[in-house]
Amino acid sequence: MSFRRLPLLAFLAAGLTSAVSAAPVAFDEVRAIFEGKCLECHNPDKTKGKLLMTTREAFLKGGESGHALIGVAAEQSELVKRLVLPKDHDDIMPPKGGPLPAAEIDVIRRWVAEGAAWPAGVVLAAKDKAKEEAKAELARKLTTLEKLEIFPESVTLETKRDFHRIVVFATFKDATTRDVTAYADLKVADDKVAAFDGYSVHAVADAGKTEVVASLGGRTARIPVAVKEGHKDRAVSFRQDVMPVFLRANCNSGGCHGAARGKDGFRLSLFGMDPDGDYVRLTRELIGRRINLAIPEESTLVEKAIGAVPHSGNKLYDADSQYNKTILEWIANGAKDDAPGVAKVTGIEVFPKQIVLEGKDATQQITVRATYSDGTDRDVTKLALFMSNNDPVAKVDKDGVVRSGDRGAAFMLARFDVFSVTAQAIVIPKGLVYERPKVAEVNYIDKAVNERLHRLRIVPSETCTDEEFVRRVYIDVIGLYPKPAELSAFLEDKRPDKRKQLVETLLQRKEFTELWVMKWAELLQIRSGINAGNNAPPFYKNALLYYNWLADEIGKNRPINQIVVDLLSANGGTVSVPAVNYYQSELDRLKLSENVAQVFMGMRIQCAQCHNHPFDRWTMNDYYGFNAFFAQIGRKNTDDPQEVIVFNSKGGESQHFLTKKNVKPKFLGGEEPDLKPGDDRRRVMAEWMASPRNPYFARNIANLVWAHFLGVGVVDPVDDVRVSNPPSNPELLDELAAKLTEYNYDVRRLVRDITASAAYQRSSKTNASNADDKLNFARAQVRRVRAEVLLDAISQITETPNKFQGLPLGARAVQIADGAVSNYFLTTFGRSKRESVASTEVKTDPNLSQALHLMNGDAVNDRIRRGQVVEKMIAAGKKDDEIVTELFLRVFGRQPRDAERKSVAAAVAADPASRQIVLEDAFWALMNSKEFYFNH
Amino acid sequence: MKLHRNCEGNHPDVLSALSRRDFMHIGMIGTLGLSLPNMLRLKALEMPKVESFNAMADSVIHIYLPGGMAQHESWDPKPFASPDYRGPYTPIKTSIPGEYVGEKFVNIAKIMNKLTVVRSMTHGEAAHERGTHNMFTGYRPSPAIKFPSYGSVISHEQGSRNNLPPYVVVPSQSIPEQGTGYMSSAFGPFALGSDPADKGFAVRDLLAPKDVTTQRFERRRSMLAAVDEHFRATEKSDAIGAMDSFQQAAYGLVSSAKAREAFDLSKESDKLRDEYGRNTAGQRFLLARRLVEAGVRMVSVTFGGWDHHSNIKGAFDGQAPQFDQAFARLITDLQDRGMLKRTLVLVSSEFGRTPKINGTNGRDHWPRVFSVAMAGGGVKEGYIHGASDALGGEPDRDAVGPEDLAKTMYRVLGINAEKRIMSEGGRPIDIVNGGRVMTDWLA
Repeated sequence: MSFRRLPLLAFLAAGLTSAVSAAPVAFDEVRAIFEGKCLECHNPDKTKGKLLMTTREAFLKGGESGHALIGVAAEQSELVKRLVLPKDHDDIMPPKGGPLPAAEIDVIRRWVAEGAAWPAGVVLAAKDKAKEEAKAELARKLTTLEKLEIFPESVTLETKRDFHRIVVFATFKDATTRDVTAYADLKVADDKVAAFDGYSVHAVADAGKTEVVASLGGRTARIPVAVKEGHKDRAVSFRQDVMPVFLRANCNSGGCHGAARGKDGFRLSLFGMDPDGDYVRLTRELIGRRINLAIPEESTLVEKAIGAVPHSGNKLYDADSQYNKTILEWIANGAKDDAPGVAKVTGIEVFPKQIVLEGKDATQQITVRATYSDGTDRDVTKLALFMSNNDPVAKVDKDGVVRSGDRGAAFMLARFDVFSVTAQAIVIPKGLVYERPKVAEVNYIDKAVNERLHRLRIVPSETCTDEEFVRRVYIDVIGLYPKPAELSAFLEDKRPDKRKQLVETLLQRKEFTELWVMKWAELLQIRSGINAGNNAPPFYKNALLYYNWLADEIGKNRPINQIVVDLLSANGGTVSVPAVNYYQSELDRLKLSENVAQVFMGMRIQCAQCHNHPFDRWTMNDYYGFNAFFAQIGRKNTDDPQEVIVFNSKGGESQHFLTKKNVKPKFLGGEEPDLKPGDDRRRVMAEWMASPRNPYFARNIANLVWAHFLGVGVVDPVDDVRVSNPPSNPELLDELAAKLTEYNYDVRRLVRDITASAAYQRSSKTNASNADDKLNFARAQVRRVRAEVLLDAISQITETPNKFQGLPLGARAVQIADGAVSNYFLTTFGRSKRESVASTEVKTDPNLSQALHLMNGDAVNDRIRRGQVVEKMIAAGKKDDEIVTELFLRVFGRQPRDAERKSVAAAVAADPASRQIVLEDAFWALMNSKEFYFNH
Repeated sequence: MKLHRNCEGNHPDVLSALSRRDFMHIGMIGTLGLSLPNMLRLKALEMPKVESFNAMADSVIHIYLPGGMAQHESWDPKPFASPDYRGPYTPIKTSIPGEYVGEKFVNIAKIMNKLTVVRSMTHGEAAHERGTHNMFTGYRPSPAIKFPSYGSVISHEQGSRNNLPPYVVVPSQSIPEQGTGYMSSAFGPFALGSDPADKGFAVRDLLAPKDVTTQRFERRRSMLAAVDEHFRATEKSDAIGAMDSFQQAAYGLVSSAKAREAFDLSKESDKLRDEYGRNTAGQRFLLARRLVEAGVRMVSVTFGGWDHHSNIKGAFDGQAPQFDQAFARLITDLQDRGMLKRTLVLVSSEFGRTPKINGTNGRDHWPRVFSVAMAGGGVKEGYIHGASDALGGEPDRDAVGPEDLAKTMYRVLGINAEKRIMSEGGRPIDIVNGGRVMTDWLA
């Protein structure tokens, strides 16, 4: 019984001090102790022991061990009992840093004895050190407060169940933002209409209007609140309430019950795409077990999820969570299916959409609101799935709290129902000394790029030198290395706009066209099956005709939209109308429609073939609707085995994989066109595709061009446009697309703008602020030169002509028509085989064979000898130094540095007898240098 | 809902997603032990932790017989079936009492007591490239994603040893499924580029050109260092770093006689080369042994064409003896050198062939049941797993899928195939989805 006696002793000790002060205890004294010592755990976020101490009502209700107060007998109260336990007792309060000083215990004991008065309406909040410091820090920051906002911008409360979480959002003069919900003075203007419950507002009256008001730092923000039918309840709906729980708890993910075969005998449709089927499986399989209408708590659906019985997916949520309550309530109401016409989700929105966090570990709550087809809306923050595309920069937890990490930009994706939306988070270092630098702004590109860099507090690199520029622009615009004469002509040019003039000259060269013909030939998969012999399609002849057609069209400078319309609506024979070969590159209709979306819109819709896209907007309806445009391709053979005629067969439909119903043609992300039977669906699609009606086309082409010049797309990879892979600079992409449309899809004009921009002309040298950045165009990216251009450069520099199948001696690798024609060098350095439309077909990743081939292979060694470049220079009587200079100009496009001259000179001096060989070794060394095969 | 032909729906869950950009950074590390300035991005890889395994083997020789080798004529003869099922051969007894192999497996019959033979492999893909995909990745082909081969996963997970590339294909990458799938090509195979069976076989670019002496090579190297210095010092990028490392690896290969010798068959005695067989199978298998001996982790060897729709006897008579001799000698050679315990040898094919001989005296594609053989590297000696039915048409018991085989192979190397790797588009993907570690096979 010693256990019982000890507290009594302590109580007696406390009782002694109590005699001293006779005045009644002021609530503020108690409040200070509660807020300082108890609320850290007994707050709405933690509610340890299920005891909440924020309000009188909650406190009186008590917790797990019963009521905290029993009458006025202090020593009987759980509250006091716990305080006076011995220090090492398991149940002592507070558990850390306890027991409380005797004086504080006495205050509480007396307060209880005096009736535990708690003035009405007083709400306590935890006070901890970190928070106090944060508050003080915020107070300092508040002097630069620019704007105070409340999100969402307005609230409509439709039923008793409806609620909306409120976020108070501060923007400061330095453009940083902060979640100040916990610090603002936040209240509902008329608490008879609506009231707060934590940070969520819910209806009190049946109908009415009021406002949510937040004030902080001398500023006030208010949003309207409207209550409609606030006293009416609404039944739990299978589609609106139960299905979202499955998505949120990952029940229907691909690794669990969403797998095509289900998991452990239970299957749900992947990401809930088939609620009808899910309803049947839940209610008609294993009757009485999966759902137990008599005892809802004993349904396996309930028991598995709360971990009451063993579950391969472990416990998913607590028994007293809202998720479980929803499921239980639905079952208790008879597990009914929804009436036909139940409101569907029409869209979702996140708040706030743009946040700028300062320093590590800053947090921001984001909320998600869904709108329904009946005009209502709901807060679905607790039902949405959150995901960051860049965890090191900003993470987001399952409740939508964003937490900052390293400097950079990230997108927070929220997914609910079939919708995905993003909020952008920028993280900048705390206390950064930054002043917006004066950066050249040549055109609209720089405006967008510089604005973005400013927001990220990144200082761009300086402008590249003329030497760097001329080499870069030659490689990028025409795919050739500048010859020493071209180099010096540019360097000696005194015109102030010589960079622009140079680009102008280059744009008129045929090599510019050839480079883009090659790039389009990759996207259009121009290749033959030549390696398998020439007796099976695709035939070499067809590939050649197809390529020549493309080269001709681009050579005429025909706008790309017109070429695309001709291509996609082509009908005729593969020999007589070469453009129809596009339809021979892929005979599978599903794959064909995927390819078209990927090449011309930059979108990968493959996922939606079997299920709604998990990170994007595409549903199966979109997929099969787009596929329907390709449902009526007819093909017939001719006498010539190499000629197949493609025509509009006027019959055939696209069948939805799940519903098995025919889906009407619908533009991807657009409307359903009005079609009459027999209309050429491909023509209708083609005319929409390459027109301003399709916003993705211009964006995609603009992005392709941009990525070619900057090394990384605004959306990157360029063929992976999706909600969860947003553009790094949306304004820039919008501008580029708008300009391309305005230029009537003339790529040349866009190239002019890009090459003129300061963004393109930056040096690749980094500074402290942009060293880690690759996506915001603060510096030039160092890029390995692509296989064809590199081989052409080797050929030019060593004066050894190339020979490729079907092309005359001395032709360039860029000019090869057929993707199947290659050689060891091109294959090893990653030339596209054009076997798929993926942008990854062109590889610039290094590998061991490349290093070995440059070092020992014939591409460099043999060509140096064969081309006799050094030999001829020696024969012409050039001095060592002249030769070295010339080699540097040829290979690196710059003068040698002193150390480099000396090193070569020393090597010649060491073995003067073999001067030519040593100089050729220097030539070899230059061509094995990264400076040679990287564009910088 | 009927299963879609292309979609098992076994997609991993999508929650712990990362950006592809992070993946690209990480992707460059590993193959050759690269150290990159952006190593800190590694912390981005917060994938769920998985249990780690002790390796039972250091390397794998994967012998692949393209075309689909008939089970009846090889590992799983049916001596008691009627002639139109049994086929043209008379099965022979092996060193495991009561077990038979095809007539042409004379040498293999003697070493059968060193092997684990799985006679109940099964999958549902009857097209060559789809079956091949199954047997090189452990995954069914998917329209949305390309899966990496065993070798690329091993490169990604374990990196290189002794200056040698971790993953080598012999003789060259003839099968797209030997590639890197969704991974960076930095994890791709190093291809010999020529056939070990050719006269004067030499791996391309491995040796400095004839007129470049050691002294000259050193001069080139020092000049290269001098002219490359400025660029290396001023430009920073992962690609430059990776290329630098490949260049170092190339130097390692070119200047380390030992590493280079791994590719040099002439270092083998004529006697042993004869015993392996002076033919495609013999010399390829012998080179594979040299490579793993020197430190290559995965050698993927292909041999022959086994798509015997007609005249299966003639075709088998031509190829099977080569395979028999070379494979049996490989196993005894590995054993003689004490390497068998730490080297897994795996023999597979995309599928088996129809139980009944067809109208042209051949057999057609049959993925329902076929056989796979293994030796060394922690698998049992003289063990037969599962069985096909009396006609060799369906698994009779203990059916095994490609995912089981893949998972077990990774397990032997100490790789937990439940680990996830980030693919393009930020989708984390299990090394092997589902499947079992076949503990029955392990010694």
